Amino acid sequence: MATPLPDSSQKYDLGFARWVYENVKGGDQLSMCMQCGACSGSCPIGTDMDHGPRKLIMMIRAGMKDTVLRSNTLWNCTSCYRCTVRCPRGIPVTSIVQGLAAKAVSLGYADEVVTSRFARSFWWSVTHFGRTDERLVTAKFYFSFGLAEGIKRGLGNLKIALDLILKGRMHLGLPHKVSDTGGLQAILEKAAEIEARDQLGEDKS
Amino acid sequence: MSLSKRRGRLNQGPASQTILVVGGGIAGITAAVEAAETGYAVILLEKSPALGGRVASLNRYFPKLCHPSCGLEINYQRIRNNPSIKVITMARVESLNGQVGDYQVSVKTRPRFVNEKCTACGDCAKASKVKVSNPFNHGMDSVSAAYLPHEHAYPQRYVIAPEVIGSPDAEKIRDACGYGAVDLEETETVFDLKVGAVIWATGWKPYDATRITPYSYDASPDIINNLEMERLAAHDGPTGGKILRPSNGKPAKRVALIQCAGSRDTNHLPYCSRICCLASMKHAVYVREQYPDAAIDIYYIDIRAHDKLEAFYQRVSADPQINFVKSKPGHIELEDDGTPVICGEDTLSREIYARPYDLVVLALGMEPTALSDTTSVQMGNRDDYGFIVPLPGDEPGMSAAGVSGGPLDVSMSVQSATAAALRAIQAIRTVSPGASTG
Repeated sequence: MATPLPDSSQKYDLGFARWVYENVKGGDQLSMCMQCGACSGSCPIGTDMDHGPRKLIMMIRAGMKDTVLRSNTLWNCTSCYRCTVRCPRGIPVTSIVQGLAAKAVSLGYADEVVTSRFARSFWWSVTHFGRTDERLVTAKFYFSFGLAEGIKRGLGNLKIALDLILKGRMHLGLPHKVSDTGGLQAILEKAAEIEARDQLGEDKS
Repeated sequence: MSLSKRRGRLNQGPASQTILVVGGGIAGITAAVEAAETGYAVILLEKSPALGGRVASLNRYFPKLCHPSCGLEINYQRIRNNPSIKVITMARVESLNGQVGDYQVSVKTRPRFVNEKCTACGDCAKASKVKVSNPFNHGMDSVSAAYLPHEHAYPQRYVIAPEVIGSPDAEKIRDACGYGAVDLEETETVFDLKVGAVIWATGWKPYDATRITPYSYDASPDIINNLEMERLAAHDGPTGGKILRPSNGKPAKRVALIQCAGSRDTNHLPYCSRICCLASMKHAVYVREQYPDAAIDIYYIDIRAHDKLEAFYQRVSADPQINFVKSKPGHIELEDDGTPVICGEDTLSREIYARPYDLVVLALGMEPTALSDTTSVQMGNRDDYGFIVPLPGDEPGMSAAGVSGGPLDVSMSVQSATAAALRAIQAIRTVSPGASTG
């Protein structure tokens, strides 16, 4: 039986670990963690994370729901799976981090994290073209901060953009697209359908 | 029970009261002398050319930092003075059949090419021009093809490396011997033993460090394992006891000791190997004794210094130049000049670190030798990791001594070996006439 999401008015909510255990894929392995730090120490972008996976797990256990769901660790993960491969206790660390990111979106925590906006821009490009167009992803991300901020950030990267164009690393035409965009939409619709069905199933149980 | 019945039972007792001990490390030696000193005949088999096992290759023991050669020498005396112990070196068990009181054991020996006339004078070693990798120093240096396994070897008898047999060098070795001790014609032998009980003291080997790929063991000579560290610090080791960087021979003053390398890890050995925390703290002391300005970092998950060993931990952690870092490192990278750099997260400060070292020592886990060496021989119930752990009601004639039954330090191995000797004696004495005849 699923436990209700704990009340967010408390800074430390001891029901949070139970909730993660039951609602996040891989969360049932949380109790295996021995806080050795192999995950955070192996992370290629560990220095760019506010907490890193080991501390994230410790905070889940401590019931720090808001801090966990607002953490940039959920969004900076590149899914390289080093933490999962090296974890001496076999914990699916990447799954837990990504599962928490999905929960952070559905519970409305994600927009507070800058990196999650980048994830949204990326998703927009993939769902529209079946490809990532670096120019549009970057532009969409920058303008998510507002028009003035978007222009400012864009101009700040002008030199890099020109260099990339001169070296032939950035094309100037229309965005690349997959040939069967209709097929892509069908795949996405089916995926959404499966996800909704699974969600319903979880709620019923 | 009447006297006549008693006699009948004694007459029909076990077919053999001899106790076979397999493995001549500290546990096997202890089990052998303990059983023999109660009057039982004991056969002690050792696969290498000399007794002593892993203990003989240790520089010093924790926590008292005394020398293992001292305790071994006392045990060798007990063997020498006891005619009921027969030591057979370079021998392995090929097969084993039967039950308590009546085992048939087939033993195979490798040729040593040197017989009992050897006086350990060393003339053969001088005569040989061929060098072979020195197994005692884990291949960190080489020895003459005719060599004494190590200076405290028991028996004190040279060995000739099989690589040179058939070459002119072998002739030179034979001709150099003034005692007629070199026998180049010696071959493998297979013979049968009849024994009443078997003690497995087959010991352990370090986990294969190359399998822990993130720790780059085979990519840098300055990343060594804890057994190599023992030899590096020993006066009869490859550096004469100086702790030097294997890459360039310079003093190793900035040293990292990584705990749980291959232990407590579901990707490798899931269990705790029990000795490594204390062994690494001992290694820190080795370095500190040689270099007053050394700085040592011990990377650990948690320090497991149980019972009285806690005092050693207190002593070592009081040294300001020995730093304990609560962190299981993620990986070891190499700088352009080959310097190892340990990368990970300090779990107390959450610092993501990348620190260069002169020398990195991996505290490798203990793996039971029995797992790979004698898989075809029935040795009793094994646990999930290959250690011999008899179940209640199992064949009583076989028992495990020392690390063959699970990770133990030396003193606990000795206790376990004494217990195994008692179990073997009990097994033989409780054989009823019915059981012994089938």
